[in-house]
Amino acid sequence: MINNSPFSLCTDIGYFSVNKHDEQLCGDHVELIEQDENSVVFVLADGLGSGVKASILSTLTSKIISTMMANAMSVEECVSTIAATLPVCEVRKVAYSTFTIIRITNNTEAEIIQYDNPMVILLRDGKNFDYPKTSTVIDGKTIYRSKIPIKLDDTFITTSDGAIYAGVGQSLNFGWQRDNIIEYMEDIFDREYTAKALAGMLLDECVRLYGGVPGDDTTVGVLKIREREQVNLMIGPPSDPADLKKMQTLFFSKQGKHIVCGGTTSTLTAEFLGKPVIPCLDYISPDIPPMAKIEGVDIVTEGVITISKVLEYAKDYLDENKLYDNWSVLPDGASCIARCLFEEATDINFYVGRAVNSAHQNPNLPITFNIKMQLVDELSKCLKQMGKKIKVSYF
Amino acid sequence: MKNISICVGSSCHLKGSYKIIEMAKEFIANHNLEDKVTLGGAFCLGRCTDGVTIKIDDEIICGVCPENFQQIFEEKVLNA
Repeated sequence: MINNSPFSLCTDIGYFSVNKHDEQLCGDHVELIEQDENSVVFVLADGLGSGVKASILSTLTSKIISTMMANAMSVEECVSTIAATLPVCEVRKVAYSTFTIIRITNNTEAEIIQYDNPMVILLRDGKNFDYPKTSTVIDGKTIYRSKIPIKLDDTFITTSDGAIYAGVGQSLNFGWQRDNIIEYMEDIFDREYTAKALAGMLLDECVRLYGGVPGDDTTVGVLKIREREQVNLMIGPPSDPADLKKMQTLFFSKQGKHIVCGGTTSTLTAEFLGKPVIPCLDYISPDIPPMAKIEGVDIVTEGVITISKVLEYAKDYLDENKLYDNWSVLPDGASCIARCLFEEATDINFYVGRAVNSAHQNPNLPITFNIKMQLVDELSKCLKQMGKKIKVSYF
Repeated sequence: MKNISICVGSSCHLKGSYKIIEMAKEFIANHNLEDKVTLGGAFCLGRCTDGVTIKIDDEIICGVCPENFQQIFEEKVLNA
């Protein structure tokens, strides 16, 4: 079952920024380019100063570098292009943006190229790993380069200098040094945490040290090497009842967790498996219908209402991430599906039945066939934005 | 022993399964029926247009709402 080939690994990426207080724009910028399924270029740039000027510098820098790197051009070319392109600051007479590039190739090797940002921290098996670096001078800039074969759970943590200044003169005398960040991350590290969760925790700590008033733009990016994890979700019976057996057989032949949504769908699944559906009566929250149990299925829930809630969580997760504290812990159907899809899964197969539930075609009910199809569409879009590989099959 | 299942499928949920479950729990407690009645959920009893649907033993009762709840439960559960 366990495939040791590098292609069973993938890179989970999460990053967050906060602006220097009273600034509307962030002077840090992250660019991400996926070269193919197994290769990605991540660039974090920190523009000189703050506000508009810094934002322009870092946006240009990260866009130029990520595009050039993704097109296999050398670092030398990237650096000289940036030097020739960036507008020169009137006050300081320099064009300047620091940057960190992390390129994961074929999910086997990480190439790190660093210019003047705090050095990337690599946690291997949850402990700080001192990776080799070589320095090169390009256009008068000292650039550190490393090439590291990657391992499962390797976690690359990159920050802008706002992170290490956190707390200077406030809660700490000399700010938060790289060593303190390493200690903090080693402490909280758990292989179950997603890159997004780890990045969020580190950034929250920085903001806390700043006393809620960041003295500099602060960005945290985390790249975590994890195993691919497939999850399969079935919703709705097939439009032609003759396809039911085919749909169920295909669904259950897939590896990974199985989620079944919908009352009728669950009943049919239970019949297919020759097991009873055991509905549960506990409403965790009045607006999400209770779950059920079928032996052989990991999660059984009601259909459209639960999935609408999952979609609401997905949109929020990609946006302000305000509802994380709900779905990350609650035991209701929508939260269980959200955790499974957003955090555990890297590859998701949807099995969508297009049968029209005649009982739902009632003007008194806000459920229509179109809503169901739309929900799946929107949810797969959100999941793609989270970096998941999505396959939708209709029956 | 009576078996009562309350449908928690999409349609019945929207028509107020939650409220009916709460009322049923209260009814059972008020009349000390814990030893005589089991309360469970059902995952769609196939009567989606006229929920909330409940099943008492083998009898399916549709259109249960807070207004007729007392009457139905007194008739079918308490005095049956």
